[in-house]
Amino acid sequence: MTDDDSPLDCGRTIEQLSSYVEAGRSPRDPHIESCPDCLNAIEALERVGQLSRDLLADDAERMPRPPESWFEGILSVIHSELRAGRSFPIHHPDPRVTITVTEGAVRSLVRSSADELDGIYLGRTEIVGDAETPGAPVRIELTASVAWGKSIPELTGSLRELVYRVLAEHTELNVTAVNVAVDELHGTDIHGTEGKG
Amino acid sequence: MSSLPRDVPDRILVERAIEGDAVAFGELLRRHSSLVRAYVYRIVGSMADTDDVVQDAFVTAWKQLPSLRDPAAFKSWLMRIAGREALAVVTRRSKEDALDEAVLPPSSAVQPERAAIHNDRLAALSRALDRLKEDQRRCWLLREVAELSYAEIAEEMTMTESTVRGLLARARASIAIEMEGWR
Repeated sequence: MTDDDSPLDCGRTIEQLSSYVEAGRSPRDPHIESCPDCLNAIEALERVGQLSRDLLADDAERMPRPPESWFEGILSVIHSELRAGRSFPIHHPDPRVTITVTEGAVRSLVRSSADELDGIYLGRTEIVGDAETPGAPVRIELTASVAWGKSIPELTGSLRELVYRVLAEHTELNVTAVNVAVDELHGTDIHGTEGKG
Repeated sequence: MSSLPRDVPDRILVERAIEGDAVAFGELLRRHSSLVRAYVYRIVGSMADTDDVVQDAFVTAWKQLPSLRDPAAFKSWLMRIAGREALAVVTRRSKEDALDEAVLPPSSAVQPERAAIHNDRLAALSRALDRLKEDQRRCWLLREVAELSYAEIAEEMTMTESTVRGLLARARASIAIEMEGWR
């Protein structure tokens, strides 16, 4: 477009100003930063970035939603790609028999048990320590999001208790500590704007 | 099973998905699929390609999640994967088209697949984007929508950083001129 090169009244071109914007307005150009025409153009140039993000958000709303089978197609591939992780031994009275439980299964057990608790939602479940050696001490490191307005000490207390109990019941891990880091909150509008649909 | 709270931050869902929770990943898919689809559509220009590319992008994201260092940066990371897969498709397609001597329809020709834009400024921007040269538009989308760095764009598009900077400056100027009616 040849119009790109037509100068403003002060002699600068839109193309020059666009390069200046692209360079983060650095090094500082004293003429541009004090010229009303240039500043006006720069404002418009900077605005099209945000406007592009607005356009994409608008596109997203106007696009027809894909059929449910589209989502299912993705999820079925995902289900077939398990993350097993390490294998933890389970004692059996017959020494010829070796039984193990996968790290992935233990994490899944912890998550689904914790999901029964209202007001707290688990993120990471890390099993730290040599869990492949029977009886070796291991630590469980959890992250969680707590519902806005709930008592964090109370919920993390219940969670800790639950995790000890579930792991003692279903595994032979020697759990010496369960630590919960609450780094996030939900049930507020702070994070709620992303989740449309 | 108790239901997943609607507004749990992405970061928490990503941490679960990294460890293999497909339900958490399903929620991430539902949250972000429409923006990713809109973005990919702007690059590839057809709904059928868009659906394939985005499907592949989410599967790739699932596989590569354990390598994501900052779980809070999931969205931009996902957009980057989708952008890369979209570029691969258009590159492949333009090679095929060159062989077939077929002419690609301009992206405005496929607009009817979407409902009309109601906002005048957004409609003007949409027209301006459609008029950009392909490489300018792709750079622009990678930079302003997916928020990739110059270095990342240069790598994705196999060009130098200064070429990327030049394309972006020209894209920004063309869009602004088109929208403001400057002469």
